[in-house]
Amino acid sequence: MNTLIPVENGNTLQAVRGFLRSLMEKGIVEALFVPLEAGNGAIVPGLVTDPSRLSLANPLAPVMPINSARAVSALTGKATPATIGALLRPCELRALVELVKLQQANLENVILIGMDCPGTYESVDYKEGWHAGNGDLNEYLLSAKEGRNPAIRDLSLRAACQMCTQPVPEKVSIHLHLFGSDTTQGIPVTLEESIAARLNLGEVPGAGNDDPKAVENLLAAHQQARDRELAAIRATLNSDGGMSSLFATCIHCLNCKTACPICYCKTCLFETEAFRHAPDYYLRSAQQKGAIRMPADTLLFHLTRMNHMSLSCVGCGMCTSACPAHIPVGTLFQAVASQVQQVFNYQPGRDVEEALPLISYQPDEWVEIGEER
Amino acid sequence: MDDYPEFEPHILAFLCNWCTYTGADLAGTSRMQYPPNIRIVRLMCSGAVDPVYVLKPLLEGVDGVLIGGCHPGDCHYQTGNYKARRRFVALQEILKATGFDERRIWLRWISASEGQRFAETVTKMVAELKELGPSPLRQEWMA
Repeated sequence: MNTLIPVENGNTLQAVRGFLRSLMEKGIVEALFVPLEAGNGAIVPGLVTDPSRLSLANPLAPVMPINSARAVSALTGKATPATIGALLRPCELRALVELVKLQQANLENVILIGMDCPGTYESVDYKEGWHAGNGDLNEYLLSAKEGRNPAIRDLSLRAACQMCTQPVPEKVSIHLHLFGSDTTQGIPVTLEESIAARLNLGEVPGAGNDDPKAVENLLAAHQQARDRELAAIRATLNSDGGMSSLFATCIHCLNCKTACPICYCKTCLFETEAFRHAPDYYLRSAQQKGAIRMPADTLLFHLTRMNHMSLSCVGCGMCTSACPAHIPVGTLFQAVASQVQQVFNYQPGRDVEEALPLISYQPDEWVEIGEER
Repeated sequence: MDDYPEFEPHILAFLCNWCTYTGADLAGTSRMQYPPNIRIVRLMCSGAVDPVYVLKPLLEGVDGVLIGGCHPGDCHYQTGNYKARRRFVALQEILKATGFDERRIWLRWISASEGQRFAETVTKMVAELKELGPSPLRQEWMA
């Protein structure tokens, strides 16, 4: 059902807060997971149980400090202890679907609230020049209305956001529309009938029916950026020693793995004794090749991680944001992942019922493999 | 004429206990001849081969990796080889996408009674790897 959240005095944020508050006050959710303002431009995702705390809620801030699918995994686990609402960006929703399949989260008693995502900035950069009332939000909402990348201060969107082709949430109970709408007048919302009834919201014909041109233009620009970036990184990968050169400055901090919403293993293989070799092992390895890089097994780590998680890679780019060596990890993983996903006709986050490719099979597929060529 | 000894590829093989390892054993006890370029690691199932087992030797400069399992439908654990096959497909794609030569990894279904097929597979793999030449990663210190 489509309706419109009224906005007073052009204060869209106030209207969003009011809407979220009504979800709690009407008992639709007992707790709400939402980005909160922590002062001076810092945004921190938090779980709110006291509706008065929602005065800090700001899902419209153009930052994404973590992929919150990880947080929802922590909040839901095997059994969600209360009805929780989670307001997430599209890439967070997709990652959450993958975590559910990986049995690291569950969606029972979870009400998913999705929002059109005009993109995010590195939270450190955004915080740096932030000051209250600087008009960032107005530009952010206007860019969504017009279907273009926002131009806030001199910041660039995170690389992953510039090439994001799935900025519209799917399969959510409540969808807040920003694209193609003048959200300073009213926020179009698509929501389930049962929730609308409890909120006493009536159908507003035409609301939530985004100006399709706005999304189309945005998607076209993002697809173009994506094609360009992936082609560039593939050219490097296909050159001699391309993969090694891309990871030449890697310091093996494992931040990419820590920030990745899909890498859920409690103990990563690469943090175990298996890769703490004895001193003579390194010497022998060096003697074989004449030299070895230290820390050792760096390329092995990235290639193995690709094998373990790239089919579920949703392209959120948190790995790039977390990389202290400024390696375009996310673009690189997308360049590889999109090829592997295509082979398996698998789109991560598309459907929670769809089986993970590596734990399922069809007897009659790839029958030529394993036989004489 | 050739001043250099012929290149002898190094092959690491992961063979499942129930089929291919037993097939290799049969090749041996039947005194079938095949090139001695292969070193075998016995695993309980081809489905137990994590990609990292294949990647580690490849990056260290081994010339080829062979994974051997039961024919589809014959897995001792019902479905291990089907999952191995999917993992293998993913690994091949990732190697291709990252600029490594996916022709250096082989997956073959060889049953316990196919000693001859095992010997032929190793012979053929050695021949093809000789065509490819030594792995460039033998000298690559950054890998």
